Amino acid sequence: MSRPLLEVTDLHKHFPVGHKGIWGEPAGYLHAVDGVSFAVERGQSLGLVGESGCGKSTTARAVVGLHPATSGSIRYEGNELVGLSRRRMLPYRRKMQMIFQDPYASLDPRQTVGSILTEPLRIHRTVKPRQRRLRALALLDAVGLNPRQVNRYPHEFSGGQRQRIGIARALALEPDLIICDEPVSALDVSIQAQILNLLADLQERFGLAYLFIAHDLAVVRHLCQRVAVMYLGRIVEIADRDELFENPRHPYTKALLSAIPVADPVVERARRRIVLEGDVPSPFNPPSGCSFHPRCHLRGEVEGERCSTEQPHLTALAGAGRREASCHLVQLEEARVPVGG
Amino acid sequence: MLQFLFRRLLWFAITLFSVVTISFFLMRAVRGGPFDNERALHPAIEANLEARYHLDWPVWKQYLQYVGPFNLDHEGLVLFGGDNSNVFGGVLTGDLGPSFKLRDYTVNDIIGQSLPISIALGSVAMAIALTLGLTAGIVSALRRGTALDLGMRLFATVGIALPNFVIAAFLIIIFAFQLELLPVAGWGSPRYLPLPALALGAPFAAYIARLTRTGMLEVLSADYIRTARAKGLPEWLVLLRHAIKGGILPVVSYLGPATAGILTGSLVIERMFAIPGTGSHFVGSALNRDYTLAMGVTILYTVLVYGLNTLVDLAYTLLDPRIELENS
Amino acid sequence: MASKHKEAAGYDSGSGRFDLDAGQLQALLNEAKRFKGESLWQDAWRRLGRNRGAWWSLVFLTLFVGLSFFAPVLPLPSPMALDPQSEPQPPFLPWEASPRLPENLPPGRSFEFGTGATSSLGAFADNAWRHRTFLDFQLRAEWLPGDPPPGGDELRDLVKAASGRSSAVFVKDGDEPGTVIERHAVPLRDGDRARVEYRPTGFDGTAQVLVVGRDAGAREAWVDFEVDLDRGALESYEVRTSGDGIELVYTLGDEGDQLRDRRYLAEVRGADGITVTRLRIDGERVPLSWSVDGGADPAGLDGQTDAADDLVAALESADQIDLQHLSELQVVSQDGERSIVVRRQAVPAIGQEGHNHADLARAVRAEIASRGSRAALLEMSHLDGIWDLNPLDRALVWVRTKVFGLWQTGPLLGTDNKGRDLLARIVWGSRISIQVSLVATLCSLLIGVTYGAFSGLVGGRTDNLMMRIVDVLYSVPFIFVVIFLITLINEYRTDLADYGIGYMTVFYVVIGAIYWLTMARVVRGQVLSLKNQEFVEAARVLGASTPRILFVHLVPNVLSIVIVYLTLTIPAVMLFEAFLSFLGLGVEPPKVSWGLLAVDGTEAISAVKTFWWVVVFPAMAMGSTLLALNILGDGLRDALDPKLRGKD
Ligand SMILES: Nc1ncnc2c1ncn2[C@@H]1O[C@H](COP(=O)(O)OP(=O)(O)OP(=O)(O)O)[C@@H](O)[C@H]1O
Ligand code: SF4
Ligand SMILES: [Mg+2]
Repeated sequence: MSRPLLEVTDLHKHFPVGHKGIWGEPAGYLHAVDGVSFAVERGQSLGLVGESGCGKSTTARAVVGLHPATSGSIRYEGNELVGLSRRRMLPYRRKMQMIFQDPYASLDPRQTVGSILTEPLRIHRTVKPRQRRLRALALLDAVGLNPRQVNRYPHEFSGGQRQRIGIARALALEPDLIICDEPVSALDVSIQAQILNLLADLQERFGLAYLFIAHDLAVVRHLCQRVAVMYLGRIVEIADRDELFENPRHPYTKALLSAIPVADPVVERARRRIVLEGDVPSPFNPPSGCSFHPRCHLRGEVEGERCSTEQPHLTALAGAGRREASCHLVQLEEARVPVGG
Repeated sequence: MLQFLFRRLLWFAITLFSVVTISFFLMRAVRGGPFDNERALHPAIEANLEARYHLDWPVWKQYLQYVGPFNLDHEGLVLFGGDNSNVFGGVLTGDLGPSFKLRDYTVNDIIGQSLPISIALGSVAMAIALTLGLTAGIVSALRRGTALDLGMRLFATVGIALPNFVIAAFLIIIFAFQLELLPVAGWGSPRYLPLPALALGAPFAAYIARLTRTGMLEVLSADYIRTARAKGLPEWLVLLRHAIKGGILPVVSYLGPATAGILTGSLVIERMFAIPGTGSHFVGSALNRDYTLAMGVTILYTVLVYGLNTLVDLAYTLLDPRIELENS
Repeated sequence: MASKHKEAAGYDSGSGRFDLDAGQLQALLNEAKRFKGESLWQDAWRRLGRNRGAWWSLVFLTLFVGLSFFAPVLPLPSPMALDPQSEPQPPFLPWEASPRLPENLPPGRSFEFGTGATSSLGAFADNAWRHRTFLDFQLRAEWLPGDPPPGGDELRDLVKAASGRSSAVFVKDGDEPGTVIERHAVPLRDGDRARVEYRPTGFDGTAQVLVVGRDAGAREAWVDFEVDLDRGALESYEVRTSGDGIELVYTLGDEGDQLRDRRYLAEVRGADGITVTRLRIDGERVPLSWSVDGGADPAGLDGQTDAADDLVAALESADQIDLQHLSELQVVSQDGERSIVVRRQAVPAIGQEGHNHADLARAVRAEIASRGSRAALLEMSHLDGIWDLNPLDRALVWVRTKVFGLWQTGPLLGTDNKGRDLLARIVWGSRISIQVSLVATLCSLLIGVTYGAFSGLVGGRTDNLMMRIVDVLYSVPFIFVVIFLITLINEYRTDLADYGIGYMTVFYVVIGAIYWLTMARVVRGQVLSLKNQEFVEAARVLGASTPRILFVHLVPNVLSIVIVYLTLTIPAVMLFEAFLSFLGLGVEPPKVSWGLLAVDGTEAISAVKTFWWVVVFPAMAMGSTLLALNILGDGLRDALDPKLRGKD
């Protein structure tokens, strides 16, 4: 198998929280991302789902270098990105861009669309100055906006249009990988579909790979070939889309999927919903053992106190879909069912 | 709460320390001693005077003497000296030393005599500012858009735009010279109070009126007021229970700056009306290099401003439970 | 590999991977010019336009600033024409106005001004009051507690008798019992010779040597030497004593030739018995060389020393001095016959002095002596007309004389208690007030924005500490510090002037240093919230450098709030200036500011007669301007506040 486009290994990101005294050390560290590994293949998209606060955005930001990673490695086509200076990072920024969640906040309100779209070209000097404006027009056209509006300001556009501008900006450098941090969650449902279709279109046209963050599973299912589920800063299950959706193995994934309503009323009525108890624990003080154990409905099926004392690790599972999961129960099941059987 | 007060106290100590230190050295940096203006002073007498006030000491020693409860008169360092020859008691003991110019008085004496006057003036001014400001603000918000509102707003804006001594001049012309109702200047009976207090409080009344008006209008258009009205509560009750409380909040947070402003303003007003308050002593003492008096007044005002600000912050949290006491 | 391929596929032409070709794009680009959007600035401008109050305030302020800028063109009387008349004149209507000419200056004639900048103004200087110069006396009168105090009239009489001209009292400082100190200004007349350029190395044109008799105290006299300063600034001098006289040898800067002025002691008094000379050196850093004739040189200082300081140091080290006071040193020669006393006096660097000056001083002294008055002439100096006009203003004055000739308006708004035209003072005062408030506000802006932006950008502990400092400063009653600072500045004024720092400069900085706090807080808050906005992060993801983010993204976004606070700080500073003026710490006469006018107004009120115009007009000018600024500031806030710009 060829080298993946983006490979993240054992990524940690800790935020210092609170101060002891006036000048003291931080009172502790918040483990926003706590050992995350995944890979994104060229032209493919990986969905990253999970509840609010589980560290999805932090992962994405660490990948694009907005937060320096505490430890771990991020490789782009085999080249290490962690610890690169701004200047050394520049060539990779051309290949790796980001689309933000809030289309109202992600565009500088004092610049015209034209300047917003040409800024990446100016920074990287990829296009000759005289061609830059033309490129902006072409980009607008590519994301389905009227190129004549190039001299307008962001506040003169609707939310969906602004998100298209954000997408156009990400496309300006013609990257191979775009990291989308909940690109549609701030939009109306009808517009969400348009944007998702646009993203799918662009993927096809330009051969893009996406790292796609969402907490809406349906969105991920629509767009991603592979899906990773995060809980409290860790990936609990990662698999190809169809495998994951049809046959979730991790109790958390099961619970998440059971919450999706099904269009067929008969099925919907018969569907057993797993209701998670309690709130997401604080990542500042995560539970011992399996961090999901206080809320896990299947905990009882693992004998003893193992779930609350021993931390499960992400291990590859047998079967199709290159599946990995981190759960004692799944591993027990795996052991019971012989490989290939 | 306790932690808040403790923090405040800590910062207060830091603030006061910086104020004392900076103003002490600023004062000493000025060329010329306190006895320069007195001509024909025999060198021997001058030397004696300087020795008496320890002006012949190195500055750091004077500073220590001024701040701490030390007695540096003797060889070495004697703590808590109760010796009579010790001129400065030290700020830490609450003794602000003797005045250099008003020879027979200590700074504590002068402040003791003048502070009650300044406090009387300041509190009446504050009371005037609050009553006038709140009434005008509330009325103007309730009668929004009417001639009354317009008039009050105009008055308020003009009040903000004029220096208080000009307002004082107008007041004197009208009430003292034309109507001959009140005395022009001076101090002694309650009749002397209204004019200076009004002049001192007027700009703040104007600002408070503006704050109240905006605050009230904001609150009056808020959802919960509409709900209260929809519930059929009588209008006055709606106002009393909800609107006024909401409208007053910005005023409470303005009280801190307003106190500081009134203290500052009193420098001018006390001069203008020849009132023997603390402020009137300050400018003269600074210009005359009466080090101890000027610094004493500075320290006093720092304490006042800081203390009142802390009170205001406490009051604010009582009024608005959403606000937490500053902690980080 | 892949990216190379992309570029080959026409990346740069913009056509390869997109549906539109270059021709289409060019056409669209041309079309797009018709679809110009409206920037937030334009939007704010439009909103401001809809706000009638703010709009009219802006118009009013623009007019006012224009008026004050063009003040030299207006045919107004002098704001400082000194008129001994002491009662304010009421305002009267323009058509009653009779053009008044400045006294003593006949029109159409140029007159001799000696040297200096004024002469270059040539023929029209005679009309413009701004170029009149004054001789400035500072007089002190003392009296015993029992006696009636010598009033200002007595001193004025004295000056008038001596100079033949009426003077005007500038500053009167008679608070301390027993003393009255007044500054009188006498306008210069045709034929007066004035202005000699002052250089710090020079001195005031006279050297005085005190000749003392052997039997101490009984016989002593000052010998005056005149230095012909018209020929250049004084570079160096030396005093030589010999058996029969004293000689002053000095060098002038321009020609470099040595001149001497020799006085025989016999001229002063009998040559006999004169053994001790005392040399008074004006100015501390005057190069000095000296020699003693006959007898040994007491300190072994045969030859030259550079300065009085060196001399003193050398004398001290010679261990032969009888040190009494720091200011006076006595050197006794070894034979005990001769001694030289060097007196070092800290004489304030007085501006210009001329011969005429000295004459007048002599006349005043003589007058004092003949009347047996206890007054004393403290200081004589030379006072330039009024504001130093910059070349632009001079050009405007020139325009004025071309357009209006000698005509000027009467006291439209009345005059004040020194007979000065109120309208002229308001207009000229506005220049200073505007200047003070603008410069001080810009100072506060500079400090506040730098501090706040830095604090917000850096964040973390540095931010925390920096904001704590601001908190501490907030709770200091600042006015006290300001008063300290300003008194301090007053003490060091001459020193500062040597470094080219004027009082006003320091004044600006001091005010600016107070008003930066709020600005710093606001900017910091804004930067803090902008810093984490997604568009800044987007720029970072694009690889933008920190300066780029700062100047391209943060600054334009912070600018709007800065503008709002700027407009609201200006009125605050104006009020503060008035406050300082009231305490006597503001702009100094003869300059005038609105604060000073307001103070003048309050001083003019009396029970006997209400000179309402002196109070009302300055108050109106100040009030309406501050009002307009406040309304404009509020309007700008409404127009620029990003909170109002919803997600609609
Ligand atoms: N700059 C920061 N400093 C401290 N803590 C942070 C910071 N950024 C994020 N966190 C914490 O890290 C955790 C993960 O946050 P993150 O934004 O990655 O969550 P998320 O999965 O993207 O959630 P959402 O779906 O709501 O966007 C949260 O608990 C958050 O409070
Ligand atoms: S390890 Fe235990 S607690 Fe954790 S998910 Fe699996 S079964 Fe649940
Ligand atoms: Mg997120």
